[in-house]
Amino acid sequence: MAFDTSSLRHLFPILAQPAYDHPLIYLDNAATTQKPLSVLDAIQDYYRSYNANVHRGAHFLSDRATNRFEQARDTVASFINAPEKSHVIWTKGATEAINTVAFGLEHLIEKGDEILITSLEHHANLVPWQQLAFRTGARLRILPLTSNGEWEPEFSHYFTDRTRIFAATQISNAIGASTPLQTMLDHAKQQDAFTLVDGAQAVAHYPVDVQTLDCDFYVFSGHKMYGPTGIGVLYGKSHALEVLMPNQTGGEMVRHVSYQATEFNVLPYRLEAGTPHIEGVIGLATACDFLNAQDRIALLAWEQSLASHVYSRLHKEGGIDIYSPEKNTTLVSLSVPNIHTLDLNAYLDSQGVAVRAGSHCAHPLMAQLGVAGTLRASFACYNTMEEANRFCDVLLEAIDLLNDE
Amino acid sequence: MTDSLNQQKPANIKEQLQACRSKEETFKALVTLSKTLTRLTAEEKTEDNKVKGCESAVWLIIEEKDGQRHFKADSDAKLMRGVLVAILSLVEGKTLAAIQKMDLKSELGKLNLSSYLTSSRTNGVLAILDKISAM
Repeated sequence: MAFDTSSLRHLFPILAQPAYDHPLIYLDNAATTQKPLSVLDAIQDYYRSYNANVHRGAHFLSDRATNRFEQARDTVASFINAPEKSHVIWTKGATEAINTVAFGLEHLIEKGDEILITSLEHHANLVPWQQLAFRTGARLRILPLTSNGEWEPEFSHYFTDRTRIFAATQISNAIGASTPLQTMLDHAKQQDAFTLVDGAQAVAHYPVDVQTLDCDFYVFSGHKMYGPTGIGVLYGKSHALEVLMPNQTGGEMVRHVSYQATEFNVLPYRLEAGTPHIEGVIGLATACDFLNAQDRIALLAWEQSLASHVYSRLHKEGGIDIYSPEKNTTLVSLSVPNIHTLDLNAYLDSQGVAVRAGSHCAHPLMAQLGVAGTLRASFACYNTMEEANRFCDVLLEAIDLLNDE
Repeated sequence: MTDSLNQQKPANIKEQLQACRSKEETFKALVTLSKTLTRLTAEEKTEDNKVKGCESAVWLIIEEKDGQRHFKADSDAKLMRGVLVAILSLVEGKTLAAIQKMDLKSELGKLNLSSYLTSSRTNGVLAILDKISAM
């Protein structure tokens, strides 16, 4: 049964506006999603009703703000099935969360150790590890895809007794492919490596259970799951978070300070320096409530049916290279030989269709695919089949217009 | 080397672009303009001639003769080639001093091309303007 988009479309008033006199069709959801009214209201309510700093003031507003702030941590912990709320650390986003881990583990990494990532990673889950390898003399290894875009059947040999960290995306932002995460995590755990999963592209679509995944760290951003920008989460198991050296100090992260020494606070505060992004936290928890109120299975099936419909329509046309899997993805990433993706993007934009063109911050993956960039249409809960079809129609028009030489 | 640009009179380009009443019309006008650009040879598309900061590849060659600056340019993206025709029509054959006196950003704004002047990394028009006005 199709997901009932109409029941929640009105919750996203931004989508009702025209773009250059055309209906706005927003298909850049992998970059950031639109925000439902409940999230917008929650942010405004914070500033209107209980704006105060948290954990510091002993007064009416501060108590309210602190309570709501810590309730939000409960909500997010339960959203990803974290066993304890203290396992949820607020960050600016997935990128900051990965950097927090990469810097925080540095004191445990030695020359000759190996850091393993996959070839599907975007820059945020590559550069922090590459730089950590530079700083420590460790070796960055890449678990490659075959030329057919499949994982090597025997990829286990990339996990060695020198593997100290394994970091992998759950779903590729550039092409929508998933990693065989559970198998990879099992291999990493057999080597006692720290494991980190980048869930930035997963949380809006898939119910996430960090206890089932059993990874040491799981990171995601609020703005890709209907929440505000500038807020994200670093989830970690207790022992994993406890060994992280804080890379920012000050504020609530200390317990006692003298001129001679500082005693750090307990988790989660030890890793949260400075005044937090309070309205971001409130907004993110409200986004979790919004997603929890949906039939997540039906929602995912709907988004996948939109992507799969676009895939089969464009595949039938021929002359379009599609890099996304045919099924089980929520986006379609493609290129057209001899037409620049930015030109396709410009025409789609002129018709009110918002997509993403470029390298998707994944230069090595693009190099592997043999393209400078791709055009990506990514779907969210509010997108309709009419929009998916309009995207295909306008893309085919663009190809006709640009294919005249 | 600049014949094709000279055939496209700046006034004509200005008229064509200013007549556009929608984003779609500007798109089509730029596609039309792009066809008038003399493409660079493979040998001319060197790393040195590449303009850094453009997500589409852009090459720009500046030569000076009798005090006048002459330009050749190319891109792998068609719309960018149209934008290059419009930009070069403003500066071709002028002296460096005259070019530096121009407010190229505002001139492009007058040509309906202000949306190409955003700081977005998807286009590097500002980097092109910088290179054109550089000593």
